[in-house]
Amino acid sequence: MIKNNSRVNRMALGARVVLLLVLSQPAWSDVFVLWSSPDLPSSRSLGVDDIVFSWKEGIAPLLAAGRRQGYRVYVETPMPKAKTAAEEAAKAGCTGVILDIADAESAGPGKDVETLQVLYPHLRFLVLNLNGKRPEMRGSLIIKRDSVLEVSSPTAQPWIDTNLALVKVEERAHQTQVPLYTFSWSDQGQQKTQTADDYSLAVAEAGAFRADLVLQLDDQIQQSLYRHDAQAWALWNQVRSTLKFFSNRSAGALEPAANVAVLVDRLDTSDEVLNLLSRHNIPFRVLLTSDLTEQNLKGVDILIVFAKPNKEIGEQINSLAALGATVVLVDAPGHYPWQKEPPVQLNEHTTSYATGRGKVLEFPEAISDPETFAQDIRRLLGKRNALLTLWNGLTTIAVPYKDHSGTIKQLDFVNYALDPVRVQVQVKGSFASIQYESPERACCESLISVKREGFTEFVIPDLRITGRVRLELQ
Amino acid sequence: MHFDRRRAAALVVLTFSLGSSVQSSENQTLVYKKKYIMGTVFEIAAYGASAERVSAAIDKAFQEIVRIDDLMSDYKPDSALSTLNRTAHFRTERVPSDLYRVIEQAVGFSKLSEGKFDITVAPLVNLWKAALSGGSIPSPEQQHQAQACVGYEKIELAPPDQIMFRSSCLRVDLGAIGKGYAVDRSAEMLRSSGIQDALINAGGSTMLAMGSPPRQKAWLVHLRDPSHKIDPYVMLNDESVSTSEQTASSLLGRDSAGHIIDPATGRPVTSQFAVSVIAATGTMSDGLSTALLLLGPGLGKSLVSRTPDVSAVWISATAQLEAATNGPQIHFNGKL
Repeated sequence: MIKNNSRVNRMALGARVVLLLVLSQPAWSDVFVLWSSPDLPSSRSLGVDDIVFSWKEGIAPLLAAGRRQGYRVYVETPMPKAKTAAEEAAKAGCTGVILDIADAESAGPGKDVETLQVLYPHLRFLVLNLNGKRPEMRGSLIIKRDSVLEVSSPTAQPWIDTNLALVKVEERAHQTQVPLYTFSWSDQGQQKTQTADDYSLAVAEAGAFRADLVLQLDDQIQQSLYRHDAQAWALWNQVRSTLKFFSNRSAGALEPAANVAVLVDRLDTSDEVLNLLSRHNIPFRVLLTSDLTEQNLKGVDILIVFAKPNKEIGEQINSLAALGATVVLVDAPGHYPWQKEPPVQLNEHTTSYATGRGKVLEFPEAISDPETFAQDIRRLLGKRNALLTLWNGLTTIAVPYKDHSGTIKQLDFVNYALDPVRVQVQVKGSFASIQYESPERACCESLISVKREGFTEFVIPDLRITGRVRLELQ
Repeated sequence: MHFDRRRAAALVVLTFSLGSSVQSSENQTLVYKKKYIMGTVFEIAAYGASAERVSAAIDKAFQEIVRIDDLMSDYKPDSALSTLNRTAHFRTERVPSDLYRVIEQAVGFSKLSEGKFDITVAPLVNLWKAALSGGSIPSPEQQHQAQACVGYEKIELAPPDQIMFRSSCLRVDLGAIGKGYAVDRSAEMLRSSGIQDALINAGGSTMLAMGSPPRQKAWLVHLRDPSHKIDPYVMLNDESVSTSEQTASSLLGRDSAGHIIDPATGRPVTSQFAVSVIAATGTMSDGLSTALLLLGPGLGKSLVSRTPDVSAVWISATAQLEAATNGPQIHFNGKL
């Protein structure tokens, strides 16, 4: 805990903190490179603005070196060391402090961060989620620390380790900040050598998901870059092309499009159902029970309820269903308003209640098969309500973004296979112009499209790691 | 019969000393690589004296799988299979030798299984594919219409490379055998590059073991066990294992589709079993795993008993266990 001895007016403090935090929120994602030595190339040559050093005693020379090389310098620290780190960072003229928060449940910046922000008004404080995964397409064979290879559980798709669900939870957990996460490259205790594609995929994922990333750069690569090693620079220049691709902030005003909402009473970045929704390209957002307002439920076609509804929430759910939505209530037995309608037993698990123009499905137990559950949600959406459908996209995640009117304007793609795939896309809306760009292809290539029953279909010929489609209505 | 990539995985355990994509042990370097092909992740772990050579051999094996996919994909409109499906109705077509060979073997499995395994099930597969991805369940009329197009006996084979369909609506789908064939071909490529010890894994559903890891007699492969109680395993040396399992039932819906269609009923099979088959080649284990799922343990055991060097195990989520051994031994670690 941080003790604040200064006398401050609490209301003024709160207003000031909120203002600072809002002002500190960038419109687009950033990559912060975690560096470990005082030997570092210049910001300009690395093509990176933000550098991060982990807090340790005697960090001052590192911070000074970072500043000398033209970076905005951040100190990353666990919360217990935050005040000391902030003091050092302020003295060294750093830009900010990145605070390690292991558990996303600590929603909101919290009192400690507010206090720090007041004490050090010139520093930017960011909350970092440490629970990210190394993004990759997993095989079934896994190399383990105890010298065995074994196969993971069966899956209908290639297993994709993605951070999209974490980002969705973080969007709700820290609403005044762009989601910021990091991950370790080591895989179950095994350290592998990272390739340019590995780093590019990490950068692409954060960029496509509109999240900020603290990118851990291998120590040897750091040293090699400083020593002007040609091989290291060849690797980094590939990564730079992806960094550059996501430095285009022109579409910063867009926001994620989603017509599925997941209602929870605690935020959990490791929730496997959310992971599987992500992998099935079902755009969703996460709500807490306190978020259930008419405004927040606007445009929701499916509400998945993992919270235990009280009377008031039950009535709100009933009203949403009555307006035409489908509500899936999971593992929350009780008495609810929709139960006055005759129940229809769909299978051994699920009971359906028709409610106005919509319905409520009650699933009486916890989800033991998230893969099948996600497929069921996709089926419930049906063709009519699917914002986005991919074919040959088993290794691809696509994220739709909309403008203030709700029209989808952009799709960002990430392909975890790292080999070019030909992805067929169907997006809701009749679009006259489909413009495609990627790090390999300069902006922009017009894609041929077919318009059918309120949807537009087109093909991305060779999606390698990432690409972006801009959509314009006719 | 299959139309998508949902197959159950087996488990494999092999021992070696370190943990990265390149590892060395007693002059034997293990190289591991993966690649997304045929809608799944192919993985190859191979031993050899030189990491560079092993790596190059694996790349060559992956190229071979890509080549097979280019021939046998029904997704790619210009594949040899797609061309055949468009043009071979009442007209003899010359096809690439790989395609001929795999169709010939598939027809052999159809005869062996008395039509339960049937690569002409494509019209039914396409019909149910829509249902599985959110469309409505096909009507009985639609099912009947599609079923009329099915029948392996309507494929006319003229060696060495000519095929004709004696039906105007027959289509071939190699989803139930193509990966097995690709695994066999990739093994050939590894052998031609001097690799003797390797494990090839097609998304967990088909694995082929070449030789054995250093200082071991075989590759230890754990099989799919939906009950999590039985823990079956096999020791593979120049053998393959494939596992088939129907798509899990819908949690929220009334009707369950499913990707494995019974040609006899025109509907998804409702088997609760995961079936693992051990055979000499990937083509054989892949084809037989589907056939034995459709046949069930009753008729399936009979098929195994008249097929040399094949073993099979059926396991349900409730730990019902049925096994038939006419070849490699299947071991059980579990409490049962």
